[in-house]
Amino acid sequence: MSKQLTAFARADERWGLRNHVLILPLHSALSATARKIADESGGAVAVSHDWSGEVDGDFDRIIKTFSGFAANPNNYATVFITIGTPGELLIIDLAKKLGINKAEVLNVAELGSMSKIAGAGLKVANSLVKEAKAQSRISAPWSAIALGQECGGSDALSGITANPALGVASDRLVELGAASVLGETTEILGAEHLLAARAITPEIGAQIIETVARYERSINYEGIDMRGAQPSRGNIEGGLTTLEEKSLGAAKKAGSAQFSGVLEYADQVPKSGLYFMDTPGHDTEQLTGFAAGGINVVVFTTGRGTPTGSAIMPTIKVATNTTMASAIPDLIDLNAGTIADGIKTLSEVGGELFDLILEVANGKLTKAEKGLHHEFSLSRMYNTVIK
Amino acid sequence: MLRILMTDNRKILILNELDNIAVCLVDMEVGEVVRQDALNLTIQNRIPRGHKVATKAIAKNDGIIKYGERMGHATSDIKIGEHVHTHNVLGDRLSTEQVNMEQKN
Repeated sequence: MSKQLTAFARADERWGLRNHVLILPLHSALSATARKIADESGGAVAVSHDWSGEVDGDFDRIIKTFSGFAANPNNYATVFITIGTPGELLIIDLAKKLGINKAEVLNVAELGSMSKIAGAGLKVANSLVKEAKAQSRISAPWSAIALGQECGGSDALSGITANPALGVASDRLVELGAASVLGETTEILGAEHLLAARAITPEIGAQIIETVARYERSINYEGIDMRGAQPSRGNIEGGLTTLEEKSLGAAKKAGSAQFSGVLEYADQVPKSGLYFMDTPGHDTEQLTGFAAGGINVVVFTTGRGTPTGSAIMPTIKVATNTTMASAIPDLIDLNAGTIADGIKTLSEVGGELFDLILEVANGKLTKAEKGLHHEFSLSRMYNTVIK
Repeated sequence: MLRILMTDNRKILILNELDNIAVCLVDMEVGEVVRQDALNLTIQNRIPRGHKVATKAIAKNDGIIKYGERMGHATSDIKIGEHVHTHNVLGDRLSTEQVNMEQKN
């Protein structure tokens, strides 16, 4: 198999591994219309959400999420559907600053009815899809890959099979010059001292510790009994007992490379190196934050077969056990359960995963892409205040 | 290199020599005897695949060690061969037990 990476060139040395046309509604009420445009078009994608322009404690986080998601290098173009509020204009402005490849704006206030928006949107979408299909991939450097590491529905084999296999692939990518990002602050709690010891500077190590401590303080402040949520009921059935145990296994995804930095939720990911991003444990919020940070491919390890995917990031599912991988082959791209079965070694499966990441980066569709798993979720920290 | 050969009839997986638990690779029944490496233990409860079994005697409040790292503590004495899970283990952090203790202090 060819080891050459090919991708779609963007401005500022950014690279797309896909060439999507994204229809992005900037108000919840426009979600249905955005979906209608995407469904009727010849290949555009859309997401739905529940934000109606609230200006509250989460405003900055939400603006950052939408603008980053729109500007993700996997998007050839983003068609914003708006009602014309200042918040929406801010999102479009920020997306342009982040280097969005191509932006189109359709304003309900100007066009009038939903059917007019749908008609105009379909016309724009189809013309952009045609342009996107005409663009060719060209040879790209390894820094074109920004890999997101995700685990969902962990079981006791996660930390032995799929997660360390991802660690092997991540280490190899980082060594070649790609970026790789570990997220899910909830799931490094109890393992942060091991990750901090791998930071390139003591300051970055202290930042990793502080990010977890900040999270822990917020949970203690809320008086939440974490045992009710973490490990989750599914994790416990799978054999995981404590949050620390889950974290020790989850941290294996990051391999053994050094950490080059800590990122806030949806911060733009640098071109090369291993990073930690402060994201929630909730899979869809975490994936949305990754996409907003410019991550263009995700490896998602799962013990229970979580179907979650993204409209714009190819998401590779790696099973931790053979039983589940055989039960739902339509969701699983690679079975790392073979490590526990004694059929393959960790380095063999890690190598297979590396090859698969490259194939997917080069255009091979993942099971989540084929199944149209286009989940999107905003991450909120505060109670929603209605305007 | 981690290679677990089922042809060796390996039923449990010890991840680190410091560990006092092992991961069961198959469902375990009461009375089953596991003779593997230097280990010789009799299974005390039904233990599902993927769950943990004590490979050393663990006293109440002792740390539970997995991957060579502490993952919580025992809330009761645990015998060799016993199922190690939420009924006899609690995490050290973010548990109500800890918060309650802090409030009492």
